[in-house]
Order: sequence, then C-alpha cells, then structure tokens
Amino acid sequence: MKKENYWSPYLSGVGLGLTLLAAFVIAGQGLGASRAFAVGAGSGLKAILPMYTATLAYLSPYLERSPFADWTFLEVSGLLIGAFAGVLLSRGFRLQFDRGTGVSIGMRTLTAFGGGTIIGFASRLARGCTSGVALTGGSQLALSGWVFVIAMFASGFLFAAMFRRLWS
Amino acid sequence: MNAPLLLSDSANLIMAAVLGLFFGFFLERGGLGNPHRLTGVFYFSDFAVPKAMFTAILVAATGVCVLSDLKLLDMSRVWIIPTFFWPQLVGGALFGLGYVVSGYCPGTAVAGFASGRIDALVTMIGIGFGSVLFAAVFPWIEGFYKTSSMGQITLPELTGMNHWILLAILFVLAGAMFYAMEHFGRGKGLRASRTSVDKQVHVTA
Repeated sequence: MKKENYWSPYLSGVGLGLTLLAAFVIAGQGLGASRAFAVGAGSGLKAILPMYTATLAYLSPYLERSPFADWTFLEVSGLLIGAFAGVLLSRGFRLQFDRGTGVSIGMRTLTAFGGGTIIGFASRLARGCTSGVALTGGSQLALSGWVFVIAMFASGFLFAAMFRRLWS
Repeated sequence: MNAPLLLSDSANLIMAAVLGLFFGFFLERGGLGNPHRLTGVFYFSDFAVPKAMFTAILVAATGVCVLSDLKLLDMSRVWIIPTFFWPQLVGGALFGLGYVVSGYCPGTAVAGFASGRIDALVTMIGIGFGSVLFAAVFPWIEGFYKTSSMGQITLPELTGMNHWILLAILFVLAGAMFYAMEHFGRGKGLRASRTSVDKQVHVTA
C-alpha cells in the first residue's frame, strides 16, 4: 500500500474544532454536509421531474432557493475545494476506485451506492449526519449529537463483523 | 464582540464557502477522505476517526463554554440541533450501517472524491438518491419522524449539571479513550494478529 503522509488526527481534529467554533461565532450555526445532498439531489429531481417533485412536501424547504443560495450547499462546495487543496499540497491526488483487496469494481460500486443510499436516508431521518448532528450537536453538548454518535458507533461495530471482507 | 455576527445574507453565504474550505482541508489532511482509514475504527486497525472527531468536539465545546461565559458568544442565538430521540437513535444506527458498507459519510465522501476516489463519487450519488428516497416515502414515515421531539435540549439542561463539569467528564472519557487507542496502536497486538490472519487467508485461498 502507498505510504500516506497525513497529519496526526489530533491536529486535524483541532483544526476541525476551530473551524466549527468559527462557524458558531460567524454564522450562528454549526457545520453540515448531508443537507447539501438533499438540496443538490432535490434540485436535480426538480429539473428532470418538476411535476413529481412538486408533490414531495418534504423537499419544499430544500428547494425554496437556488442551491447556490443555500448555506450548507455552499459550505460543502467549499469543502470539496478545501480537500482538493489539501490533496494537491501533499501530492496525494490519485484517480482510483478505492476498495478492499479482493473486492471487485462491480461489488464496490454496489456497496458505495447502496451504503450511500442508506446514509442519505438515515441523515434525513436523524436531521443530519456526522457533521451536522454528531460534530455540531456533540460540541453544543446537545442531546441529539450524543444520541446519534452512540447509535452510529454501536451499529458500526455491530455491522463491521458482517462486512469485514469489504475492508480487509 | 457580540457573536454570532449578524452578517448580511450574501456575506454569510461567502463565509459558508470559506468555512467549508477549512473544513475540507482539515478533513483531508487528517486522512478522513480515505475509506480504509474511515472504517479502520470498526476493525481496531486505525483510530483516526474517533481521535479527530472527539478532539474536534472537545475543542469546539471548550471554545463555546469559554466564549459564552465571557459573554462574547450568545448561544441562545446559535442554532442548537434539536433532539428527536427515537428518529435520531434509529437514524444514527442506520447511518452506522451505511458508513461501514460505503466507507464514507457525507462530508468525508466529498473529501474522498476530491482526492480522486471514484467510489466516493458513487457514494455521493447514493447519498443524493437516499435523500430523495426519504422524501418520496415521507408520507408513510412522517409519524415516526416527528415522534419523541424534545426540542433544542442540551445535556446541561437535561442533567442539571454545570457545563464545565460535563465538559470535564468528557475530557476524562475522551482522554481515557485516546490513551487506550494509543496503547493499541503502539502495542500492535490486535493489528499484528489481524494482518497475520489475513495473510494466512490469502495463502490458503
């Protein structure tokens, strides 16, 4: 395996924590991620199937304005560029289909899409994801954040045994 | 300073992108765009996720306590994530499954894609699909979605404990966890035995 030159996760965590604190101070809200996917996919669906999309009451708050006027959508757009900058600075960019040894590309496509679908659904149910509920809620000492974090890790450890072959 | 700042809408949107830049940079630099690292915690082979995550929570939580005690940050004007106990418990558990299967979460999938991972892009498409799927079935799950609403409740409010005492407890718990993880990492007991088992599997296969 190629040697990776990542930072210490503690240092990365300090950076993430200060960014989150800055978000509270500047914007009066924490960081999110999954909302951007609801906004992006909802807007895409609206472009293809406008009549059907109009019947989906849940999506209407996400489609009130253009994605480029949505706080979280812009924040995640920045995330993409910031991560790209990090990869360029460390010369770590490599086009690849990352997967465990012995996992075919077909299987990886299935697990990536299927796992992603579950994440998208779960994030809507939980009102956010690892960023918007776990990190943000956790640091606010909000009950929501800690319920989510505990449930996520407990379930992850439970299912990890079942999916060991994907990552070994 | 009287934070949160009341920026104009357009300035607030620019700040969203700027904060995102830092968010993505730190995620990627911590190796959190790499699905092997992201799932490593569940196989006791890489603890980058809990280390970075709980460090970030402790740093931000300490900052919030200091700034709000100094009256520099008015937390009553910051959006606190509301609690819906059962939907968040079930949502968190489902999320854990999706995380182990895909190897990413929403923010880290974007970081993974930025580093050239096509599987992360596929995960992102899945997350979009899952979000729309939720909207499509919403009428049938709306009842559950709205159950156990507890409002914007925090642990200090729930327990009646001072926020500094709770923060101290968190520091002790996270510190003990970090110590255990470093101990595992250095001893390489579990990691070494796992690698040798994997090698044996490959030899016999």
